Amino acid sequence: MDKKNAVFRYIAYAVEMVLAFVLLSTPNLLPDIFGAKPALLLGIALSIATFEREIPAMIFGMVAGALMDFGYSNALGLFTIALTVVCFLIGWVANNLVKANPMNYLLTAAVVIGGLYMLYFGIEFYHVADRWTYFQAHLISRMIQSLLWSAVWYFVNRFVYHTLSEET
Amino acid sequence: MKEFLGKTKIKILLSVLLVLLMLSVFTRNVENNIVSSAVNGLGYGLSKVTAAATDNNARTMSYDELMSAYEELQQENNSLRARVVDYYDTKAENARLWKFYDLKKENPDYTLIPAMVLRRDVNDEFSSFTLDKGTASGISIGDPVVTDNGVVGWVAEADANTAKVVTILSPRTSIGAVDNRTSDTGVVTGKAAFADRGETVFSKLLSDHAVETGDIITTTGISGLYPKGLILGEVTEVGYDTYDTSYYAVIRPYDDIRTLSEAAVLTAFSGQGEILLSGDTDG
Repeated sequence: MDKKNAVFRYIAYAVEMVLAFVLLSTPNLLPDIFGAKPALLLGIALSIATFEREIPAMIFGMVAGALMDFGYSNALGLFTIALTVVCFLIGWVANNLVKANPMNYLLTAAVVIGGLYMLYFGIEFYHVADRWTYFQAHLISRMIQSLLWSAVWYFVNRFVYHTLSEET
Repeated sequence: MKEFLGKTKIKILLSVLLVLLMLSVFTRNVENNIVSSAVNGLGYGLSKVTAAATDNNARTMSYDELMSAYEELQQENNSLRARVVDYYDTKAENARLWKFYDLKKENPDYTLIPAMVLRRDVNDEFSSFTLDKGTASGISIGDPVVTDNGVVGWVAEADANTAKVVTILSPRTSIGAVDNRTSDTGVVTGKAAFADRGETVFSKLLSDHAVETGDIITTTGISGLYPKGLILGEVTEVGYDTYDTSYYAVIRPYDDIRTLSEAAVLTAFSGQGEILLSGDTDG
């Protein structure tokens, strides 16, 4: 039963990811707010990792990262590898050390999102002369929007997890 | 540490990381690789789904819409075709005008009406032709007809839209002329013997003339019918006419009058208008 529920949960997570990818990739569908759109896939991956075990969390993190990478270029890269490791760790921590709650989650999400985008910024823009203009004009807005949306996804996936798990 | 790394989950994580690193190197260095193609193919399919749901992407058109678009394109095409024809006409007109630009620049008092040769008179051995401009364009009977290389004839008849030109190859033509080098004067008039060769005759030369082959013959402008200094041609031979016991020079115009396709009518110039001396037209 648990496996069957798990399959349904994974399907639900996959649908969320497909939906998020489509929303982001369709032109002129999501508006730019202060020069950026949110990284919906990032929030989905982090929220899944909070509720699932390490391996499923790692897999969904890897898929979300791959979709983010391929949306930017035709190559696997930073987000794939980073989210694979981060989601694995979050899954391990949430299942073994710290109980998941909204505050813990938001704190974790803020650290992960901030760290990932600073790393992205450092790698992709270190050679660009006016990189701080880009940071102020786009990245700050993107990070804040991604954090807000990750909070939304936390509650959505908490609902999914609790609805489709053996505990209910 | 060893115990930590020995855990199955850690092994799985490390394995996956290794694979991802290799794939990352692979996808970054190999263009059109299978991984990128697969992901992009998935993205393409999703985009097609969203295209059906949004108005921002191309959608299939109904038959009526296609017909309407086709008719619109047809009209636009017809309009563009007409404009292309106009463009070529304008371009040709522009080219003609440029030919006479230098002539106009050297003689600012000239009023030139460029025209195209509409047709040629098949019964005329002296290559007369009809221009596509007439009195409506300001052309009058007796106006000189020129090209950028000199005089080719004069307007013998004119109606509103056409003008018949008698060339300098014709015996009907009689133009006062002078040798630029020697200042020998005479009259340019056509002769049948030379018209077939596209040449005319500089006749009524004095016995002590100094005209030689290669001399350039121009108009005198004395009569007022032709401006002074217009080129008539270059001397190709000098001879003696036993019929009227006078010397003459055969001149070849710089244009082949028999194959002219365009010319300009000189409707006004400084010094224009004096009494016609006799006959059809005297120069």
